[in-house]
Amino acid sequence: MIAIIDYKAGNIASVKNALERLGRACVVTSEPKEILSADGVIFPGQGRAGAAMSNLRKTGIDKIIPQITKPFLGICLGMQLLGSTSAEDKTECLEIFQGVCRKFPPTLKTPHLGWNKVELTGESSLTTGIQNGAYFYFVHSYYVDPVRSPRRKNCCAIFTRYQSELTTESCRDNDTMSLSRPKPTSNGVDVAEAQIVGKTSYGFDFPSIMQKGNFFAVQFHPEKSGEQGLRLLNNFCELCI
Amino acid sequence: MNGKCVRLAQGNFAKSTIYNSNPVEVAKDFAKQGAQSLHIVDLDGAKSGFPVNLETVLAIVKSVNIPLQVGGGIRLYDQAQKYLENGIEKIILSTVAIEDPKLLERLLEEFGSYRVTVSVDIDDGQVATRGWMKKNTKTVPGLVSFLKKVGITSVIVTDISKDGLLKGPNFDLAKEFINEGFKTVVAGGVSSLGDLEKLNKLGAFGAIIGKAMYEGKVDLREAQERVAYKNNLAKRIIPCLDVKNGRVVKGIRFSDLCDAGDPVELGKRYCELGADELIFLDIAATLENRKTLCELVSKIAKEINIPFTVGGGISTFEDIKNLLNAGADKVSIGSAAVKNPNFVKEAAEYFGSQCIVISVDAKRQNEGWKIYIKGGSEKTDIDAIEFSKQMEKLGAGELLVNSLDRDGTREGFDLELLESITDSVNIPVIASSGAGSMQDFLAVFQKTNVDAALGASIFHYQEVNIMELKKFLSNNNLPIRV
Repeated sequence: MIAIIDYKAGNIASVKNALERLGRACVVTSEPKEILSADGVIFPGQGRAGAAMSNLRKTGIDKIIPQITKPFLGICLGMQLLGSTSAEDKTECLEIFQGVCRKFPPTLKTPHLGWNKVELTGESSLTTGIQNGAYFYFVHSYYVDPVRSPRRKNCCAIFTRYQSELTTESCRDNDTMSLSRPKPTSNGVDVAEAQIVGKTSYGFDFPSIMQKGNFFAVQFHPEKSGEQGLRLLNNFCELCI
Repeated sequence: MNGKCVRLAQGNFAKSTIYNSNPVEVAKDFAKQGAQSLHIVDLDGAKSGFPVNLETVLAIVKSVNIPLQVGGGIRLYDQAQKYLENGIEKIILSTVAIEDPKLLERLLEEFGSYRVTVSVDIDDGQVATRGWMKKNTKTVPGLVSFLKKVGITSVIVTDISKDGLLKGPNFDLAKEFINEGFKTVVAGGVSSLGDLEKLNKLGAFGAIIGKAMYEGKVDLREAQERVAYKNNLAKRIIPCLDVKNGRVVKGIRFSDLCDAGDPVELGKRYCELGADELIFLDIAATLENRKTLCELVSKIAKEINIPFTVGGGISTFEDIKNLLNAGADKVSIGSAAVKNPNFVKEAAEYFGSQCIVISVDAKRQNEGWKIYIKGGSEKTDIDAIEFSKQMEKLGAGELLVNSLDRDGTREGFDLELLESITDSVNIPVIASSGAGSMQDFLAVFQKTNVDAALGASIFHYQEVNIMELKKFLSNNNLPIRV
């Protein structure tokens, strides 16, 4: 069972439809228990970062996400919220990844809307069978700039909590899937950076697929990206055992 | 300077370094390395107030094949004209732009804003002219509004205190011009790939690299590969289906489809043919059939995995919410946006700009275009260009531009209307109305800056096959998803 996190931000029907087309069982939920017990979690998103984060805090999902050890896929705003901060509404985000979300400069048409190429820059089980330079559908005004910028002092604590989950049963399952998990250093601080798996050019290159351990993120909408999008979603589902 | 290639440090004429005594050879070498244009400054000219190295500049024109821009000492109409009529693409004015606004206006009128650039030299927040020796009292914000008023569209911004030091440019100063809409080229202190990358992300139009080039600190090829402007966004082809009571109207001819009136079947067919998006327009939008429409939308959403927009009679929050919940990706708002612009603002804030498409129905009147409502049956006094700008400001994510003059004529898209609108807004624009052939699609993408083009009967009657159209456009070097 795959949990689609419902936090009142955008078009969840499309993600659900796509999973159903792939024949995958899924549940749309905001229940922490259901999210933590699912075989995989999809975190879709549209709309504004500020409102989305405040909904996540209200429901406590912001505390749940870092604990997830099963495969996790952030889509669009769902990717942006995994970074440290977003310039949109000056929002503090979940900081699963290093990186800040910036607005496209005023010289580029915004939103960046339409089909754009994803150049594969790293290996990932998410992109198996997907051609380098394949087109995916994008709609967004902000992008993740993968700079290292620890926002808050207690970010180590978050990582520690997240790392402590590494010892659970579910985690060993993940290891057998050979996902490259970040390894904690002796002081418990996570030094591994999120890997940029794919990049896209709109004026300049920005990361369009990222991965850090079991956390995957895509800036485009795989559920709206035709055959290639379905393949990517299917790859994700294959990881969710 | 004195017919030689030199660099100054912080604009000080006494601190010059001669790098090469043959500017023509240097120009040829830069061109060979892959420079896309050259920026030449007649330093003697800047200091003395008239072009001094004119012969050298004209010799460079003859020896390289890339566009040249020249500045330094151009203070009179004849001097500017001499350059512009002898192969120089753009002239750069500095002192005269501030001291003689009348000349600036005359040049803009005769040669156009594309060929006249103003070089803004800033020292300690103040505008400097006369070869940087005389500080002008004008401040940056004052200069920005002055240049905007006379119609200057491109500037070169140099922070003199950063020039020649190889310690990076003044990014904040650059931002002040970029955010005001100028095509901004940044000079002074640009010294690494990192600087270039940052400038590109700020939206700078270009950067001038001087000393860092002479000293080999920036490799042009590497810069072009790694940090230059790059865009792979594809142009979209969108079939539009008119729907009435859950059925497609306008007799669509696909002989092999059992039910040519089923929007779901047709949508799927267009997906297979490579459509990038679909638009469904409810042409008989009434309260009673709202429910039918929502049911249809949810059926379409289950079957189609590319984005689709739904339009027709949308006038309330409830309409938008129901359609989005049913699975539509975007909604197109027409008359309601004209009658109540605030509706657009509230909808964009609540649902996000990305799902709000505004239908701009325009018809030529004298010099401009007026907005029509109610499916083109009722004229308003609203200017189409102003309306488009207003919609962008209120949060529209995209404009769907219909030309009532071209609708159904198959004479091609209204290029003039589309160009005027794309020049005035910075959101994606979908061209609609008038497509009669593959050439029409090519023309609209080559001649205007639209992002997508829509066709209805031309696709429905199979006069143009979407797959073939996309191949044709791609073969003509347009970025197309094939």
